[in-house]
Amino acid sequence: MNVYCTDGTEDGFYTAAFSAYGDRDCVVTSAKRLQLPLGAELFETRTDPEKSGRVRKKVRACDARAENDISLVLRRGCDGREMTALGYLRLLVKTGAPVRDMLAHPAVIEMWDERGKVTYEAHRFTGFLRFSEGANGVFYAPFEPDNDVLELILPHFIKRFAAQAFVIHDTARRKAGLYNGKECIVARTDEQVSVTLSEQEEYFCALWREYYRAVNIAQRPHERQMRGYMPARYWKFMPEKH
Amino acid sequence: MLDAERLKILTESAKYDVSCSSSGSSRQNRKGGIGNASIGGICHSFTPDGRCISLLKILLSNRCVYHCLYCPNRADADVPRASATPDELCELVIAFYKRNYIEGLFLSSAVDGSPDSTMERMLETVIKLRKVYNFNGYIHLKGIPHADRLLVSRAAQYVDRMSYNVEFPSERSLKLLAPQKSKESVLLPMGQLAQEKLEAGGGRKSRFLPAGQTTQLIVGASPESDGRILRLSEAMYRKFSLKRVYYSAYVPVVRHALLPKTCTGLLREHRLYQADWLLRYYGFTAEEIAGEGENLPEEYDPKCAWALKNMHLFPVEVNAAPLEMLLRVPGIGTLGAYKILKARRFGQIGFDDLAKMRVVLKRARHFITCSGKFYGSENPATVRTMLQLAADTRPFEQLSMFSAPEASLSALTGQL
Repeated sequence: MNVYCTDGTEDGFYTAAFSAYGDRDCVVTSAKRLQLPLGAELFETRTDPEKSGRVRKKVRACDARAENDISLVLRRGCDGREMTALGYLRLLVKTGAPVRDMLAHPAVIEMWDERGKVTYEAHRFTGFLRFSEGANGVFYAPFEPDNDVLELILPHFIKRFAAQAFVIHDTARRKAGLYNGKECIVARTDEQVSVTLSEQEEYFCALWREYYRAVNIAQRPHERQMRGYMPARYWKFMPEKH
Repeated sequence: MLDAERLKILTESAKYDVSCSSSGSSRQNRKGGIGNASIGGICHSFTPDGRCISLLKILLSNRCVYHCLYCPNRADADVPRASATPDELCELVIAFYKRNYIEGLFLSSAVDGSPDSTMERMLETVIKLRKVYNFNGYIHLKGIPHADRLLVSRAAQYVDRMSYNVEFPSERSLKLLAPQKSKESVLLPMGQLAQEKLEAGGGRKSRFLPAGQTTQLIVGASPESDGRILRLSEAMYRKFSLKRVYYSAYVPVVRHALLPKTCTGLLREHRLYQADWLLRYYGFTAEEIAGEGENLPEEYDPKCAWALKNMHLFPVEVNAAPLEMLLRVPGIGTLGAYKILKARRFGQIGFDDLAKMRVVLKRARHFITCSGKFYGSENPATVRTMLQLAADTRPFEQLSMFSAPEASLSALTGQL
């Protein structure tokens, strides 16, 4: 059994898929800590633009939308993401035509499940992300998503706050999207950054908490539903929950 | 700047309005402006009552000249009063919006002075937000009954959604419980807006009320049956092309001899919403779901109830049935039905495949065949019992005074 270890990038995955496609009993992973099965042979995959380009081209030829499906699956925060993507890719190439509507096929079901978890979390954070106004007028929003959704939510906020400078900081993955009102870049960061808040910030935060308390109807408690829609792991950066 | 005290008063007066959706509009941001609308709507937080916070729900003023019995803000109620100026509200909306607390504004008001002056102030707030503060986020505006029709159509050009609350399913209850409102004062402007939207080209892209209209009905404060309520909803969906009707189980905030003293069961509200979905997305008519004087059954959902009455139409073959019929199978929702339609183009679907596709089979198994095989129970009586057991009945559900129509009638007259 062969284990292909990638650097976690999309091209890394496609490079590994180049060799792993025909290798029936193999594992592709980008996990940092890895327990090798007995008798397994480890291959460090060096990302190769030529190989990954060829696989991408094949995927596009089969289904123009599949590359995006795979890209989304690879944003998952769990270790099995490469295998989900590989299973989908194998079926796609074998069929030679779009397979995303084969909703009863296990590989396709798994792809949609994992893809859905990523897009759903991205959608949730368009609502749950909280900005604080810095003293320098830049709005800062830290968050800790399960999946790598930073790049997925940036376009939404750039459209919405087109004239407002902001930073969206994924503290778990140590990267941040920086927008200055004109262009946006994604940069590596430390886990924590110190931000000096503007004078009004505390006032509006308090108003928001007051609003949150006031709009609740105490006669109809339904805490379980609240936790279902807004799991406690997202509360860390939401002022109304503190 | 609006202070915490007034914010509290103005929000607590507004919170019983059920509508919270921010969907249906795809308004774009303008150059130098702030905000846009998201077609599917975005929830920004959830309160411990399980409802979402999407819009800043607030009244412009809770000083009211009306005497609606059920309303905590009615003229003779002894509650703290407050009002906000248009500028204060605009500043608050922008400050909250910039921090991504909210998706937009839900502006309502008590009738402070006259309906026209109230509507004028609301209109001023909305225009200021759009023009001075350059705000392009979602705005839901509550219509004030009896306000001038020109004010109403002017407002509709700036906001995404408007709503007039019908509140009570019959004119008689409305007269009794909200003496200064009339059926016409609510339904006429709704009809007018529907007509003007049609003339403006309709649709989500149009500048005129892109997200359409909604309304709200209070359930359980008056004696009307579920069947009656659903007929009214159906008529409004057809006539005014409403986007939604919201149902609100009655919560006694105000004590009065004409009003019930207990909360209406949340289960009744839940069943009404289920039936409402059947009207809008599943091709059912109100006639099929409940008879004129009937209430919806509590033991199982309205689709189950319909299917049990129409057992001769089942079982249907999942590999062959048309979409309309799949949608009528209890347990198969819109998502499940579309999944089946897509998947069966690639091959026969078996019972196990359905389970893998996460189609809920607890109820559906009694009403379908997969490649000719039946997996449920043949005996209707057994099916009925199994469905009752399967239904998620909540043991702590408060007993409703109004489950039986005659009991509710007696509650209204006070002769219990």
